Amino acid sequence: MQGLMRAAWLLLSVFLVGAAADDNHERDFLSRIRRLTVEGKRAGEGYWSPDGKRLVFQSEREPGNPFYQIYTLDLTTGESRRISPGLGKTTCAFFRPRSDEIEFASTHADPKSKQFQDDELAFRASGKERRYSWDYDPEMDIYAYSEKTGRLKQLTTVRGYDAEGSYSPDGQWIVFTSMRDAYNRPLSDAEKKQLETDPSYFAEIYIMKADGSGQRRLTSVAGYDGGPFFTHDGARIVWRRFDVTGVIADVWTMKPDGTDQRQVTSFGAMSWAPYEHPSGKYFIFASNKLGFDNFELYMVDVDGTKEPVRVTYSDGFDGLPVPSPDGTQLAWTSTRGGGSAGQLFLAQWNHQKALDAIASAPLKQTRK
Amino acid sequence: MKKALAIAVLLSATVHADVAQLRRYVTTLASERFGGRQTGTEGERLAREFIVSELKRIGAKPLPGQKDFALPFEFTAGTRDLGTTLSMAGKARALSFSDSGDVTGGVAFAGYGIVVPESQDFGYDSYATLDVKDKVVLVLRYFPEDADQKTRGILARYSDLRFKAMAARQRGAKAMLVVTGPKSPNAGELVPMTFDTALADSGIVAASIDGAAGNAIFAAAGKSIADVQQSLDSGNPHVAGFEIPTTVTVRAKVERERHTAYNIAGYLPATGRPIAEKPWLGLGAHYDHLGHGENGSSLASKEEAGRTHAGADDNASGDAAVLAVGGILAKQPRPRNVLLMFWSGEELGLLGSSAFLATPPLKIADLAAYLNFDMVGRMQDNKLSVQASGTSKSWDKLIEQANVKAGFNLSVQPDPYLPTDLRNFNTAGVPSLNFFTGSHADYHKPSDTADKIAYDDLDRIVEFAAAIARKIEDTPEPPVFAKVEPQTQQGASRAGGRVYTGTVPDYASDAKGLLLGGVVAGGPAEAAGLQKGDVIIEIAGQTIANIYDYTYALDVLKIGQPAKVVYMRGGERKDTMLTPGARK
Repeated sequence: MQGLMRAAWLLLSVFLVGAAADDNHERDFLSRIRRLTVEGKRAGEGYWSPDGKRLVFQSEREPGNPFYQIYTLDLTTGESRRISPGLGKTTCAFFRPRSDEIEFASTHADPKSKQFQDDELAFRASGKERRYSWDYDPEMDIYAYSEKTGRLKQLTTVRGYDAEGSYSPDGQWIVFTSMRDAYNRPLSDAEKKQLETDPSYFAEIYIMKADGSGQRRLTSVAGYDGGPFFTHDGARIVWRRFDVTGVIADVWTMKPDGTDQRQVTSFGAMSWAPYEHPSGKYFIFASNKLGFDNFELYMVDVDGTKEPVRVTYSDGFDGLPVPSPDGTQLAWTSTRGGGSAGQLFLAQWNHQKALDAIASAPLKQTRK
Repeated sequence: MKKALAIAVLLSATVHADVAQLRRYVTTLASERFGGRQTGTEGERLAREFIVSELKRIGAKPLPGQKDFALPFEFTAGTRDLGTTLSMAGKARALSFSDSGDVTGGVAFAGYGIVVPESQDFGYDSYATLDVKDKVVLVLRYFPEDADQKTRGILARYSDLRFKAMAARQRGAKAMLVVTGPKSPNAGELVPMTFDTALADSGIVAASIDGAAGNAIFAAAGKSIADVQQSLDSGNPHVAGFEIPTTVTVRAKVERERHTAYNIAGYLPATGRPIAEKPWLGLGAHYDHLGHGENGSSLASKEEAGRTHAGADDNASGDAAVLAVGGILAKQPRPRNVLLMFWSGEELGLLGSSAFLATPPLKIADLAAYLNFDMVGRMQDNKLSVQASGTSKSWDKLIEQANVKAGFNLSVQPDPYLPTDLRNFNTAGVPSLNFFTGSHADYHKPSDTADKIAYDDLDRIVEFAAAIARKIEDTPEPPVFAKVEPQTQQGASRAGGRVYTGTVPDYASDAKGLLLGGVVAGGPAEAAGLQKGDVIIEIAGQTIANIYDYTYALDVLKIGQPAKVVYMRGGERKDTMLTPGARK
């Protein structure tokens, strides 16, 4: 390499190898970290196919649409394929076990979808930047896509954001988040104001059959209840519950009928996106315990008897962790590749070290 | 079970064979015998013979219309003093950038010969009250020794001998002599003639003289250097210069050595039914390195000085990668010709690739893409940089797809304005990628040795690059080039530079003046109508003989205040007004 500009240039391009301090335990749990997605502005929320050979994820990567669409990624060939309509916004896809279906949420049926895309593109072309935020589009509904026929089946229809769906291990149920409560009853003035400033306040956990029938509400506590997943034995649902301020969130579990709601963490931070390791021993989740913008991955025993154990040590965002079906790998979303937008990462997961670390973690502190 | 085991053994055997091959490539090129592969030397020749024999081994042929794999180009290897003399007692030696010529004239002493541009809001001008027109200017080397730190910091920036020579020339001096004062380091010694890669003349005869010669000249004024330096350093630093009632003759004899160096290029002809659209894919790496650290870019410590700079990572690793990717492609169907290139002169300023692109042996427009490998042997923590991804919209998808298999912790960087040969291909409009495993403590030192290379990871990089190469090979539509606008002015910008002109100098040129390799879209230079290929010869009344003059001249410009720029375009002298912006 040529000498001319080396000083400044090397400063810019050298990897931050030195950032790994002695108390960095990331390598205990994660090895052979690799970046999975490159194309497009951002990508995230990668969920495994039941055979562990593919991921389904959301990414903003096509000209003309500045919003997430849903893609599958074949981990053998590296080929990715869009399975969502391409129009509007989508989010939160999940493979249906024992089926060719993939569910996700989409706004493509909204006639204003194209207009929203054009408006956002025009906004960006003006050179302005806004902080990334999710707008809880009330036209968002859940669909099931058949990989065999290519057909989409609409599963939710009511007004209000329906999204964040995931299947039960037997593929018969979908647990999801809905804000329909803000639209299906008269709101008080205070609630109307709340809806304008933060609609997620009305988000609650619902369950339905995989064909969309039998929709039923499971939670009714003020503040954002969202991001629900079944545990691997199908016996419980794990999700995150925000307080009414929308600042503090903790990991909770309940039975699939909504009973026996138990708080797992009391971490005093925004702790969210919990997902159970297939061993059934612990949850991995994201928390900004160390600073508003610095989300790291943590893990905690399923009963929440211990303090959470930190997994990642990287500035910026590490979140949305999903272990592979065999528990040997972890997919997650991170900004560690540079920039402010996340991409999908994959690493080998050291389950034994995770168990050891949890076992030696201190007992849970009581926080107010 | 047995069968599975046999396959496993077979697989691992194949992998090890590749790693062994890579180890052989790197170990050979980085061996002591090759002497650090400095451009134009015996070490370069030995490296070339090795690479050519390996090219033949994988079945590569010389390019169509070429007899040899080696493609010669000329470059300036250095300057030599052929016996510069002074008509006084004592010794003289030309400065490396001096013109040759005989000059006779009266002498004017101009202190340290430093002129701080007005824009610095720090008044210091050694010529303030001195007329040096047609004089031989005598200046002290370095800058006032006893000044406070801040003053020294400012003066140091303008005390480079090139800058002093430019200041003297611009004030009409016939020649500049420099003497090192008794209070300064290297007191009384001649300035060594250093290897200097920006080899253009400075437009003035400039020589250093020793203490004896200095004393002889000062004696004519009835003064001693020591006293004069003392008053300049500790008293008022603005002590005016003075004329010395004597006449001297300087005979400067400087030779710029033109040497021949060689790029290496071979190709693997397309197989089957070749693709017609852009029928070539290029792979390249420079094979030159720093020799024994003779030129300025060695970072060897005092203890290591003069030892062979092995250059195992920089860039035997890249050469190994090109040979290995070539070896893989040689065994597979290839709808496009594969061009395998090894550059010399890279460490001296991308000279080899510049020469290749200036008189290309094939149409550059026929290149579908160019993949460059520069320092790929020191992978840490699975991290790999893929750079210049902004040169085509196709890259991100290709990189993503190849990496799902390869599994690197990638850093993907769009910027193609890199200090490596890829830069020239980007300028030529070729979609390009550079592979890079990051810098390290042995960078540009003799300790960059073959035993420190991560061969298993290098092998993975080879597989990864080969997968990307295969995809380009097999896709009939070549990647479409995308222009990346430079984020900042490159290269000529020095630390602390405040002025932004939006020019991209061509470093490989040794034309008189500053040849523009391009202008930044939307920048002041473009607004002034300047374009690639223009040669700037004057800015704001300051003549520009070379890139150093240009860099210094920028300091004189004021932000927002239009400055006259004189330039040559197609042999015609033109001028325009350029309004510099503020560097962000």
